[in-house]
Amino acid sequence: MTEKDQNEIIKIMNDPQPLPRKVPDYMRRKGGMWYWTGAMVMFAFLYEVITGLVILFYYQPTAAYASTENFLNSTPFGSIILTTHLYGAYAMIALLYLHLLRNMFVGAYKKPRKNQWFTGILLLLTTLGVGFFGYSMSGDVLAANATGVGKGIAAETPVIGAYLEGIFFGNGTNASLFQRMLGWHIVLVAVIGIIFLGHFFLAEYNTIMPRRSESNYRAPLVDRETSAYRPWYPYNMIYMVQIALYTFAAIVIIPSIVVALPGVPTLFSPFPQVAAGTSFTGPLYPPWFLLFVYKAMDFQVSSIIDPFWATVVFAGAPLIYLLLIPYLDRNNSLSITDRPVIVALGIIGIAYLVGMSIWGALTPALLIPDPEVLLFFVVIGVALFVLVELAIWSIKYRKTRLRDPAKVYVLLAMTAISGFGTGSLAIPSLLTFKPVYDIPAIILAMITAYLILLDFASMRTAETVRQIEPVAADMKPVTYVLISAFLVFAAIVILFIITPLNPSVVSQEAGYGIGLGLLLFISGTLVKIYRKTEYGE
Amino acid sequence: MVEARKEPEKDNPADASRRSFLKVMMALGVGAVTIGVARGAIQNLIPQSVGVSSFPTLTLVNATTGAPIKTPDMTVNNPAAVIFDYPLQNEPNFLLRLGDSSGNDVAISPYNVQIPATGGTFKSPGGVGPYKSVVSSSAVCQHLGCTPPSIHFYKPGTTIPNHPGHSGSSNTGFINCSCHGSTYDPYKGFSVVTGPTKSPLPSVILAWDSSSDTYTVNSMVGPTIFGHSDDLSGGNPLSSSSQADVTTISD
Repeated sequence: MTEKDQNEIIKIMNDPQPLPRKVPDYMRRKGGMWYWTGAMVMFAFLYEVITGLVILFYYQPTAAYASTENFLNSTPFGSIILTTHLYGAYAMIALLYLHLLRNMFVGAYKKPRKNQWFTGILLLLTTLGVGFFGYSMSGDVLAANATGVGKGIAAETPVIGAYLEGIFFGNGTNASLFQRMLGWHIVLVAVIGIIFLGHFFLAEYNTIMPRRSESNYRAPLVDRETSAYRPWYPYNMIYMVQIALYTFAAIVIIPSIVVALPGVPTLFSPFPQVAAGTSFTGPLYPPWFLLFVYKAMDFQVSSIIDPFWATVVFAGAPLIYLLLIPYLDRNNSLSITDRPVIVALGIIGIAYLVGMSIWGALTPALLIPDPEVLLFFVVIGVALFVLVELAIWSIKYRKTRLRDPAKVYVLLAMTAISGFGTGSLAIPSLLTFKPVYDIPAIILAMITAYLILLDFASMRTAETVRQIEPVAADMKPVTYVLISAFLVFAAIVILFIITPLNPSVVSQEAGYGIGLGLLLFISGTLVKIYRKTEYGE
Repeated sequence: MVEARKEPEKDNPADASRRSFLKVMMALGVGAVTIGVARGAIQNLIPQSVGVSSFPTLTLVNATTGAPIKTPDMTVNNPAAVIFDYPLQNEPNFLLRLGDSSGNDVAISPYNVQIPATGGTFKSPGGVGPYKSVVSSSAVCQHLGCTPPSIHFYKPGTTIPNHPGHSGSSNTGFINCSCHGSTYDPYKGFSVVTGPTKSPLPSVILAWDSSSDTYTVNSMVGPTIFGHSDDLSGGNPLSSSSQADVTTISD
């Protein structure tokens, strides 16, 4: 620990800042959502804690599968709670990745936010751990195999493997296994809570990182409060309510729609599969957020170096890289053009993660010979590196002028991933004509097309630097009054429709869930309208 | 920037070495407490091992009817996983009656099985029964512990998904695990055919009583069952001390 770190700790200990801080207005205006990705993760976490505590009243480790099925099929609203608990976890993980990537690309890990970065990486690790245990607790055939694999990898840890296996997975009996998994699922959530408090405190202490132009793209970048800042209450609090409502709306509505859809692929099924040890013919997928580790096990090299070391290489190395970023990127620039290698590695990392996951989904348990593995990593790595460097070079030397380069990079990366996914899905879709492949292929193709449009749009607007006109397109207040009245009317109608649905029948519950999601969405929008008309935000 | 706080150490260095000494003592005290607590916590968290002290000898019986399994009860090259737990509840084993591609019994002779992981070998017990065609092995994949129906026998000539080179006409009757694609040859002592596994399936030693046409399971040979420190620990003992229940998982 350097003396500077020590001084910082002393400073924090003796001079804690009042919570919560005021923030500048632009963080609540259009586009301000990027300053609140962490808040979205927090609300997803909150949702998980609440639904998890409800499930805790019903889950029996000695009858894991039966009690899960019973909760799902016979307990009123059990299906909504369990499926949204699963998709809430998915949302939390997806938002966590978004939060991490956003902060990586804007250089938020630089002074003074190094410790925030480290606690954030710890939170990623613990969240994936909680996800793994939670997924395994249903005791279905996929969970049983995922548990077996996790156990096998833990047991292979040099020296302490047997102890780790015992501590995390019990003495081998099913009763002890599920008791331990329930225990760790909850204990790790508590650990997340504690680390999150530190993470949140640091965020308040160091201030939310403002837009980088405030310090001419130089670290350290802290928000300097002025007398123009609006107080936290009610302005920011109501904004938080809006974010919470929208996050909950997404978490509730998506799985409810998925429940109602026919032929959802195993990977995204909101329900447990058949019980462990019974007949099952589909691919034995792990949860989607661990697909990349799953695919890594299929590499020829992994059978030589053992699953434990394969996990260390393919999952541990990226983690270590993330922890090292603050040390690798030491200059004080927050500009993307000054950090070409970090940006390129970030984009390559996304491509590897998504590529390996899609690969795992499409070729489960198919051995990949080393030359193909090498080809995958080298081609994607080199091609993306060259492309990103070229793009950064052309922007830096004003060959291309971008108003918001960060946006363009993110868009380009998303386009590449989405294009890769479309291509990968188009092949089985054209070969087999199964809706499992067709629907995602079509959806992804549409997303790709839309992203390409956005790419062009963002680059074109960039060339002609437009004057930002005063907002003239706003609707009249009376229009907003009418819209909010209509929304409340719609909400009453929705409530009227969903009330008679039977909460113990899964298909009717899906309708209830969709209705509930819409109500949350309407409430969020009402808050948004209120903020717009009354606060001008 | 706030200046570094004034630490007492800096403005009052009465006896710097005494202060450092006391700090070290304080740290050692806390360290001792940490070691004591950590040791207790870890030892508490490591579960007590459960298991049995020796391999029991059990008669194989049909789990549904309770009647002993006789040779005609077993189908040659049965594609369904016929399994029984032995020696513990969470240690499933395959019961196979092997045949050729036209469904005739094949006599299985003992085989010197290589263990690629250690470089060692062991002798598999070979087939038992009237045609010496009944063999048994652990049904827990040695790669990462997947169990039936994920791992099961594919009779000669059938397709093994995602396994070109050992599928269709190249399939001489293999056990394949669909988790990560490990393949074993039950005709050659359950030896390794393809990775990622580096260890053959442990063989179960069966005995056949010719007068009553019944089978008993006696012990195991080969590598340790996956996920266990030894075959006899890491799971609950079987409920019966005289018989092992045989069940079928159709695929």
